[in-house]
Amino acid sequence: MTNLLEVRNLSKQFKSPGGPFRKARAMHAVNDVSFDLPKGRVVGVVGESGCGKSTLARLILRLIEPTDGTLRFDGEDLRAKSPAQMRKLRANMQMVFQDPYSAIDPRYTISRAVMEPFVVQDRKPASKPEEEVAALLRMVGLDPGLASSFPHQISGGQKQRVGIARALALRPQLLVLDEPTASLDVSVQAQIISLLEQLRDDLGLTYLFISHDLSLVRYFCDEILVMYLGRVVEALPDTDLPARHPYTATLMDSTFAPDPKLRRIITPLEGEVPSPFDLPPGCAFADRCPRAAAICRTETPVLSSDGGHAVACHNPI
Amino acid sequence: MLEVRDLEVAFGPVAPLSGVSFSLEKGETLGIVGESGSGKSLTAMSVMGLLPLSGGRITAGSIMFDGQDLTNLPEPAYRKLRGGRLGLITQNPMTSLDPLQKIGPQVDAVARLHLGMNASEARARTVEILGTLRIPEPGTICNRYPHQMSGGMKQRIVIAMALAADPDVLVADEPTTALDVTVQAQIIRLLDDLVKERDLSLVLITHDMSVVAQTCDKVVVMYAGRAIEHGPVEAIFDAPQHPYTQALIGCIPKGLSDDEHLTGIPGTVPNVLNYPKGCPFHPRCTQAKEICATDVPAFVQHGNGQAACHFPGAPQ
Repeated sequence: MTNLLEVRNLSKQFKSPGGPFRKARAMHAVNDVSFDLPKGRVVGVVGESGCGKSTLARLILRLIEPTDGTLRFDGEDLRAKSPAQMRKLRANMQMVFQDPYSAIDPRYTISRAVMEPFVVQDRKPASKPEEEVAALLRMVGLDPGLASSFPHQISGGQKQRVGIARALALRPQLLVLDEPTASLDVSVQAQIISLLEQLRDDLGLTYLFISHDLSLVRYFCDEILVMYLGRVVEALPDTDLPARHPYTATLMDSTFAPDPKLRRIITPLEGEVPSPFDLPPGCAFADRCPRAAAICRTETPVLSSDGGHAVACHNPI
Repeated sequence: MLEVRDLEVAFGPVAPLSGVSFSLEKGETLGIVGESGSGKSLTAMSVMGLLPLSGGRITAGSIMFDGQDLTNLPEPAYRKLRGGRLGLITQNPMTSLDPLQKIGPQVDAVARLHLGMNASEARARTVEILGTLRIPEPGTICNRYPHQMSGGMKQRIVIAMALAADPDVLVADEPTTALDVTVQAQIIRLLDDLVKERDLSLVLITHDMSVVAQTCDKVVVMYAGRAIEHGPVEAIFDAPQHPYTQALIGCIPKGLSDDEHLTGIPGTVPNVLNYPKGCPFHPRCTQAKEICATDVPAFVQHGNGQAACHFPGAPQ
């Protein structure tokens, strides 16, 4: 299996300039992230708000510039490309955004929104524009009659389908899905996930799926990366594997089963994600970790692999 | 404690809510579930007496709270009750706190208004309540502004405000929807403990069947402004009778097997202006027959629960 995307030691720091009343600070949004995305696979990235998963998505498409690291897409070094070359390449890698309510221009009709990628790329669709729009809308399970509607006239689930149709317009190989169902009802979430599964099979797409919902990621993805404060703390090559990092275990414990017989006493994780500005020395999770030892507060654990299952922990389960 | 009978709500000529009934004992948690637009929040607003604010009114039915009917309670009396014996936890902690006021005074106001406490008594109570909600350093928190706190912390402040006047009934409208899973687990545990420790009655409104399974004793499933199934939580999950309830449960990945397949519920919730004739769910129902399009189904008893369906219990 060839890798469509190879990410090595990717880092992003946001610098906050100092002023008369505060010191200059640096925030490590993404810290030394490496992974492979093989063709046709679905890799999920999970973590809480602020763990850097959306920044990672934007870095991969070079919507923001990485501070460090390399990105190879289909064998090509993305960071060596000029902005114009990058724009061309982005026809092969598209993004579906979290909030369908703000991802589509409210003054555009659905057909104009779906055709926008062709305008941006200065390309002509293979067939007549109206036929292309109808084909794309049908592909995502929408009635082609909606083409002349405006975003406010359709529901949130339909808007997300339009977002997916727009991402598919240029027939990309890779879709980066940034929490595509987070703002939708569970019933609509299930519809969208089922649509994405069908599109993957029909079009041979590769997905990077970003979510905070571990049960959804385990259902939908082939491999999982768990992120905490900008770092990958665990990489599961198979979604059925038990968690080895205490943080992953906590995430699994925080999801409820839809069955009252499986109800349990929740022992929630205490505390909150520390500020990424002043990262504590050692493991970032140590202050909330039930298994933390002295070494965890002094030395940052490295991601070490055991048969593909990698974990960054001094004291794994 | 709280008993709602055949509630009907109208905004002008439109009736988005009709025939909603449920009851709640002390120390019990009732879940109201359904998709967006099914009337869950409207039910909560009716109980809280907040309908007139948005131009709605209760046209039929009753809401009995501790022996008195709230549907014809005058506003001054409602004001005493609301925030006092009836507590409300709103959905979005980001917008339910005043951004220009420190946390302390916002929570103090409840005890001053409802319990007639003076400033220092109210502050002492605020600090005590924040402490019981496991908020670290409650004294310092009182001097913070909402924007200095995380979403989970803000939701705890909203819960503290709802608890400040010692309510008997707590209505929580999607209290964890805007939060991360780990924070959701913290808040759900907190609500669970509060119900047990204080013998509260909790109405939990959510669209997530897994939250219901984790917390509730009883469930009301709503669709298009109607209750379509209700009963004890075990019965509803063991043998859901209404196809809509079955579909809602089917929307959550269980993660137990690889051949599990999510389909979702095709179509969307109907618009208030044109609710379908007959059973409101029939256009999206896989089991629908002719009669479903013409006759509104009556409730059929099943064990301790009831479902409004012409063909209850039909397999998925």
